Amino acid sequence: MLKFPKSAALAVLALTAFASPSLAEGDIDAGEKVFKKCRACHAVGDGAKHKVGPELNDIFGRTAGGAEGYKYSKAMIAAGEEGLVWDADSLTEYLTKPKAMIKGTKMAFAGLKKDDDIENILAYLKSFSTEQAAAAEPAPETASEAEPVETAAAAPDAEEPATEMAMAVEASQGAYGLGRKAMPDEIAAWDIDIRPDGTGLPDGKGTVAEGEPIYAESCAVCHGDFGEGAGRWPVLAGGQGTLLKERPVKTIGSYWPYLSTVFDYVRRAMPFGNARSLSDDDVYALTAYLMYLNDIVEDEEFELSKQNFTVMRLPNEANFIADDRLSEPHYAKGEEPCMSDCKPGPVQITARAQVIDVTPDGDGDESSGGGID
Amino acid sequence: MVDRTDTKQAQQTASRRSFLKAGLMGGAAVAAGTGVARAAGDPLITEIQDWNRYLGEGVDVAPYGKPSEFEADVVRRSVPWLTADPVSSINFTPLHELDGIITPNGLCFERHHGGTATIAPADHRLMIHGLVDTPLVFTMEDLKRFPRENRVYFLECAANGGMEWRGSQLNGCQFTHGMIHCVVYTGVPLRYLLEEAGVKTTGKWLLAEGADAAAMTRSIPMEKALDDCLVAFKMNGEALRPEQGYPLRLCVPGWEGNMWVKWLRRLEIGDAPWAQREETSKYTDLLAGGKARRHTWVMDVKSVITSPSPQAPVTHGKGPLVITGLAWSGSGTIKRVDVTIDGGRTWQTARIDGPSLPKALHRFYLDINWDGSELLLQSRAIDDQGLVQPTKNELRAARGENSIYHNNGIQTWHVNNDGVVENVEVS
Repeated sequence: MLKFPKSAALAVLALTAFASPSLAEGDIDAGEKVFKKCRACHAVGDGAKHKVGPELNDIFGRTAGGAEGYKYSKAMIAAGEEGLVWDADSLTEYLTKPKAMIKGTKMAFAGLKKDDDIENILAYLKSFSTEQAAAAEPAPETASEAEPVETAAAAPDAEEPATEMAMAVEASQGAYGLGRKAMPDEIAAWDIDIRPDGTGLPDGKGTVAEGEPIYAESCAVCHGDFGEGAGRWPVLAGGQGTLLKERPVKTIGSYWPYLSTVFDYVRRAMPFGNARSLSDDDVYALTAYLMYLNDIVEDEEFELSKQNFTVMRLPNEANFIADDRLSEPHYAKGEEPCMSDCKPGPVQITARAQVIDVTPDGDGDESSGGGID
Repeated sequence: MVDRTDTKQAQQTASRRSFLKAGLMGGAAVAAGTGVARAAGDPLITEIQDWNRYLGEGVDVAPYGKPSEFEADVVRRSVPWLTADPVSSINFTPLHELDGIITPNGLCFERHHGGTATIAPADHRLMIHGLVDTPLVFTMEDLKRFPRENRVYFLECAANGGMEWRGSQLNGCQFTHGMIHCVVYTGVPLRYLLEEAGVKTTGKWLLAEGADAAAMTRSIPMEKALDDCLVAFKMNGEALRPEQGYPLRLCVPGWEGNMWVKWLRRLEIGDAPWAQREETSKYTDLLAGGKARRHTWVMDVKSVITSPSPQAPVTHGKGPLVITGLAWSGSGTIKRVDVTIDGGRTWQTARIDGPSLPKALHRFYLDINWDGSELLLQSRAIDDQGLVQPTKNELRAARGENSIYHNNGIQTWHVNNDGVVENVEVS
């Protein structure tokens, strides 16, 4: 019983999610440039033939897996059999993350990240489709020999599992059949993490000079004008050479192993109390500025971008090691603990908390002892 | 006779100094209230009391019940100077007031990085994506249709005791050891959800993310995720408390609390760890030589005497004294707890009472006859892997004083002749 209202609600969700792209107007010339990414595998225009992937004349209105003479993946054929017809909405979803929509597709292309690129490439492809086909209604069989987007470059997909259909909401295929398939836009909205190898970095760029005013406006109130930290807010800069001292100052420059962590954290959680409010370019600029505050770069015109990001290294990267607690003497000795005559004489007190006097008691005048930062 | 209400209110305002004073007065003050018969007999017995004559409140006065008004000082407390802002801060479980192994929900310590998120369960989603056959989205309703398990686990912040590395600092086991709680969780084994999505063979790591304003993230190795992790929606039988991640949190049994992502909304499968802030700049253990350990996930074997302790002085004078405390290990069960009353020269094996469950708190007791002389109390836990809780000096020798995290050193309480207790270190 519960399932029906749920799927109905989700269907509405799906419709709204895909309503907008089809309304967008792309630019044909710009689309031709984007299509350079596709030319290795796909042909379009007069005399276009199948290459690694099928030719793309009259792709609008074509049933998925429907171009004669091209050997599709089972997944693509099944998608067509279940009613998938290429139009602006379905192509938008597919080109965003092909494998997310058609699991088992042969197309190796990872997808286009920018909405503009997709709109433009669709405008370009549409210029090679007949008006009728482009009308986007599930126009049944257009006679053309055309074909959707697929390449043979990828997997040896002889044994592909049963395909899921792409479009709308789809139930889980797992043992319990609970949950439903996540849509590409949903994954993109939440998947903002970045790894040290650069995986997940968005397009964008920003310079030290561009980062300075953003920092002054959004960050300095807590972190100080030069990253020195206000009150007990985290110190972001300086501290080089203090890791061996009694009070180490652990900053991006003195301690953090990876620059990707700076970008990731600022983008997901900063400014404190207004997370996700900075643009990707802002975050590149801020990250560049934090490198500058930490003397990792010295040129105010230095520009950090997706392209040069992974070349950057933080000074302390090499000083992180694996967990080897069990090799410490007190664990490694593996002896039965002493039960009697364990210490030679009467035991002396060597430290007292009351001397330190930092336990909270409402007087509010405690200075800080060693903190947990 | 001592007015209990006044005494409690005094303690409530309070404060280390107050409870130290209470401790100093201890023997004398409380003796008057312990029911010692006077010539005319104890008026609490010989005179009819109000509660024995007049009717009390009926049902439904408190549809969700609360502890007795006389327990009003049994609350979580914070150490204001520890952090910059209470929104990204921590408070502490009042271990000295509790017994058994289960922590009441309202007393479980809180640690958030962007405040407590307020999420209606109907608005909550859990997404699994990345290296899976089918990326999935679950509603809370979906999750409650998977088979469930009930498990008792402790959750300890890796920084528990972090302020004590350089020496005795905070005078109370609430503050030295209170970043821990132990409840029974109800939830779905994480592996069921991962199997539903179909983890690819290249999927070796999992990133867990919260829906709060910090979007907390931690990398977890797939082996652990498939072993005993739970996606929990109940604690001690009722829905998770908001500050514990309502409506959904991850349980990573035996591993540091920061990994138990609250308000869990996303699980990404990948082939390498993500090196997030909380596993690089934080929750890494700086050693004396300048190297820092990372991925120090397991919580070490550890114990503490919760009473007597600085906030729970001995108020009854000589004679029978219950020494009690907690022991735990992220590696399994506690095999044995030893207690010393002379600072570690001689040890006696304590009595573990109540359930002995893996990766859960264990309650121990040593019942002694106190002769009124000074005591140097310590406890020492040994887990089922044979690991023995080290001394603070052993830890400092191995790591220096700047590790912050994973301080499982033996705690010493000094009990003076009056029953006042202080956090100390010994030779």
